[in-house]
Amino acid sequence: MLKLPPALARFFPVPRPVRAVLVFLLIYVFLIGVSSLENGIKVMGADTQASLFSNVDHPLAGLFIGILGTVLVQSSSASTSVIVGLVASGALGVDDAVPMIMGANIGTTVTNTLVSLGHVRQSNEFKRAFAAATVHDFFNVMAVAILLPVELATGWLSTVAEWISDRLVGSAGSEWESPIKKWVKEPVGWLQDGLNTFVDNDNLLGTLMVAVGLVIVLASLIFITKNMKTLIAERVEQSMNAILGRGGGFVAIIVGLLITVAVQSSSITTSILIPMAAAGVIKLKNAYPVTLGANVGTTITALLAALAASRPEALTVGLVHTVFNVAGIVILYVIPLMRPVPILLAEKLADLAVRNRMIAVGYVVGAFIVVPLIGVAIFR
Amino acid sequence: MVLSFFRKPESGLDHIAHQTISMLGDARHSFDLASTVILSGADPKAIGADIEATDARINKAEQALRSELVVHVSVRGGADIGLVLGYTLLLKKIERIGDQAKNIFDLAADGVSLAGAEDIDEFVARRQEISRMYVEAADLLASQDAIAAKDFLKRSLALNAACGAKVLEYMHSDQPGSWAVPRAILYRYWKRIVANLAGIVTAAIEPLQNIDYLDDGATDITDD
Repeated sequence: MLKLPPALARFFPVPRPVRAVLVFLLIYVFLIGVSSLENGIKVMGADTQASLFSNVDHPLAGLFIGILGTVLVQSSSASTSVIVGLVASGALGVDDAVPMIMGANIGTTVTNTLVSLGHVRQSNEFKRAFAAATVHDFFNVMAVAILLPVELATGWLSTVAEWISDRLVGSAGSEWESPIKKWVKEPVGWLQDGLNTFVDNDNLLGTLMVAVGLVIVLASLIFITKNMKTLIAERVEQSMNAILGRGGGFVAIIVGLLITVAVQSSSITTSILIPMAAAGVIKLKNAYPVTLGANVGTTITALLAALAASRPEALTVGLVHTVFNVAGIVILYVIPLMRPVPILLAEKLADLAVRNRMIAVGYVVGAFIVVPLIGVAIFR
Repeated sequence: MVLSFFRKPESGLDHIAHQTISMLGDARHSFDLASTVILSGADPKAIGADIEATDARINKAEQALRSELVVHVSVRGGADIGLVLGYTLLLKKIERIGDQAKNIFDLAADGVSLAGAEDIDEFVARRQEISRMYVEAADLLASQDAIAAKDFLKRSLALNAACGAKVLEYMHSDQPGSWAVPRAILYRYWKRIVANLAGIVTAAIEPLQNIDYLDDGATDITDD
């Protein structure tokens, strides 16, 4: 990618309206990517589909795959959009997708934890930064520890999401005439026809479409985030300053949500908090609700992806992501007894990490790579 | 607070620039009040609360703006790092000027008054000259007019030297200590204020590494 040196970039700034139009175009491209993914899976034979997703039959395998996949792409927006695409194709069921969505929620926290490691040389800064990063981890792990067993036992999360989805687009199993789907159908058709001229094997064609879809989803999300970050930087600064001036609470949740919806990335929102926390300008108890808002805000991408899908189940999965995060906030933030728990755990871990930096490194590698890998190996 | 996200935003550093100029306005207010007490014999008790409140406002603004600078870097990355470091120095200078005004007030509160003294006209003239320099420094921060800034720095160096000469003159005066010492201390405070105002103006026109220096880093304007 051509990147102008900073000095030149200041002379040739992209005008804001152009950037705004570019974002809309990128959202369109993103939806084409999701649809290509869905079509690619559909093109593959039923046997291939079954063998691809047989590994996620166990919910814990799905959870760990969700973590690993998200750590790999460093974006829960991307991984949940892919999950939505898979559900839209019919190859992955809602029940199998729910633990993967929860895993994606945990996996996305690795980004700000990695950012916090940048402060490792200064003990006090590192302690604050690491606690601000891991409070997000603890919230997500606790939310999964509470809500996944309940979901497995009762299926309430998918029931609630399905109930909302029914009212919005119709019952599961039916075909939903999404207007967005119509807009992206043609370019996806061109892509399929183009690839078909080179390959005549369905499995290979499907694999290529999935690969192209993945690249489109990831690339478009990166550029959407980059452009939106530039477009709303002043607003982000303004609202962060407002939080600093008046404390956190539910308002901070809304601010975190709005920023994340705008930039389509919870990692951006939570990573902005890390240098602020490291410098001590935002306290952990005020940063924490911003991350919770980011958790909810990031679910907008999967909902957006569901607009390009033809099955109501895709929207159900997108809504599972939203309902799961809102329920997590209700349990772990609204209930006063639970509110300090993730903060205390994060502070405790930060204390240990400051005393021995290897604990921090071991935590990142262990929690986000080793444990999920072992989990997948055991439960697949 | 949520609405702040939707409100038409002011560019982060523009807001900080406006607040910095406003801090300088507060610092001038403190200086004028403190000087009035010592030069006109006004009751320190009547003015003390205003000076304390203004100083508290300056201190609070400095802390808030430092936080905003951290937020700016967190959101925007390192592109403005030179400006951010420059503002950090600038804010500290304004805060120090505010403290100097408080020191002048403390002198008056300790019983020093030059009201009715035979040399009062000289002090009043100097005070007015310095007070005007606050306004000029604020204007230069806003306009970043390099030519006007160089003229300001030339005058501030001359005034600094004049203040230094007065301190020496009082130190070697044959007058009693109760006459000479307060005058020497007041001139010393004014000298520091002028040096800091010059430092503020260098921040408007010089690169970060040359703030507080002239002649491409060769002359330290606050080295006293």
